[in-house]
Amino acid sequence: MAKEKPQLIINGKRADGRSMEDLRPIKITAHVLNDAQGSALVEWGNNKILAGVYGPRECIPRHDASPYRAVVRCRYTMAPFCSLEEHGRSGPNRRSHELSKVIREAFENVIISEAYPRTQIDIYMEVLQSDGGTRCAAITAAAVALADAGIPMKDLVCAVAVGKIDGQVAVDFSKDEDNYGESDMPIAIAPRNGDVLLFQMDGNLTREELSNALEMAYRACAKVSALQAAALKAVYDGPKPQASLVLGNKQ
Amino acid sequence: MVADRPVRLPYCYVEKNKTYASVLSLLSEDGRLVPLCGPYEPMLDDYVVAYVQEVRFSGYNININGAANAYLSGRETAQKLQLGDVIYVRINSVDEVKSVELTDARILRGGKLIETDAVKIPRIIGKKNSMIGMITAATGCEIYVGRNGYIWVSEKGNAKLAIETIKMVEAQAHISGLTDRIKAHLDAQKSAPAPTN
Repeated sequence: MAKEKPQLIINGKRADGRSMEDLRPIKITAHVLNDAQGSALVEWGNNKILAGVYGPRECIPRHDASPYRAVVRCRYTMAPFCSLEEHGRSGPNRRSHELSKVIREAFENVIISEAYPRTQIDIYMEVLQSDGGTRCAAITAAAVALADAGIPMKDLVCAVAVGKIDGQVAVDFSKDEDNYGESDMPIAIAPRNGDVLLFQMDGNLTREELSNALEMAYRACAKVSALQAAALKAVYDGPKPQASLVLGNKQ
Repeated sequence: MVADRPVRLPYCYVEKNKTYASVLSLLSEDGRLVPLCGPYEPMLDDYVVAYVQEVRFSGYNININGAANAYLSGRETAQKLQLGDVIYVRINSVDEVKSVELTDARILRGGKLIETDAVKIPRIIGKKNSMIGMITAATGCEIYVGRNGYIWVSEKGNAKLAIETIKMVEAQAHISGLTDRIKAHLDAQKSAPAPTN
């Protein structure tokens, strides 16, 4: 981290050649795992995030169950090899706890949990490789995995980070832009009605910059949302891939 | 969006007087909604294939592939069940917290239990049992299809072909012309020499 602050904007373009509104290349693949009920792999720039979803299933431990709704559980973890920094080597830490919590709260708003009392829905997100903006990519992956698992939801959540680098508002920060920028603001929205489900901010923005950034975030989320829908459609383009599960020969 | 007025449909929800699908679904032009995935929602009088997960003092906890286990009272069944027994059973009641009670249990012995998506069951059964009838006739198996997505296939007959075909129906349930493809598949398998064990 003792590196000098690199120049983030060169000739009106960002260091990796993007304009302020450009997202990094995103590839979403749904239904990548055979044994998870729903799964998705999101490759977002250099980020690689795998999400797996189970549920609704029996809530364990029983005393956590609610008679009114399904309990949503989220686990966001970084793999020990996901970046140059120390991540995940000694188990869950303050950061992954926080992210698991904010992501859970975002999904609690869209999952129709009242229909499945006394059950739980598990969302597992594994960051395999990280390069800035992993919480947004993780939410995007988890939303696709939830839809793939067939869990009733009101909307397909998508997320993107906006913020300020070298005095200019831009979307979707890479790691360097995140570390050396002035402000970073991850946002998750429900695209159908525009509800904001997650809103965090590091650093400062003026009022104009904030409203500008929000508009950019909505435009960027629309692009992410289209990719999510396309990924889910692709699962059903041909015969649905499926591992055959024979539960055994019960006599 | 499914309809611009509130409608009560499975796998849908209503918001601001409009109905939306809550799971990945196909919407036909005449407004019929076909869910592509989704959990099994137990309904009164559904016949399901299930298995005994726990034997209790006065009854049994039964796995019906739903969000929670169902309960079969010992009084509702004349036969004594054991852990792991596969049964064909009717849903007697579903209450507001989705507790399920069962009745009319019947043990299925000497077969295999396979797991499919509950929303694909109508396709596996077919119009007026056409699909499952075709598979039964071609393989000579006895097949019990539960509403919950579990299917039991007897071992007498060509069970391997039956399971393979059911899996094929499940994987291709959303593609049209399925009955013809399955018929062709079964015919091709029948004319092929029988597998020697």
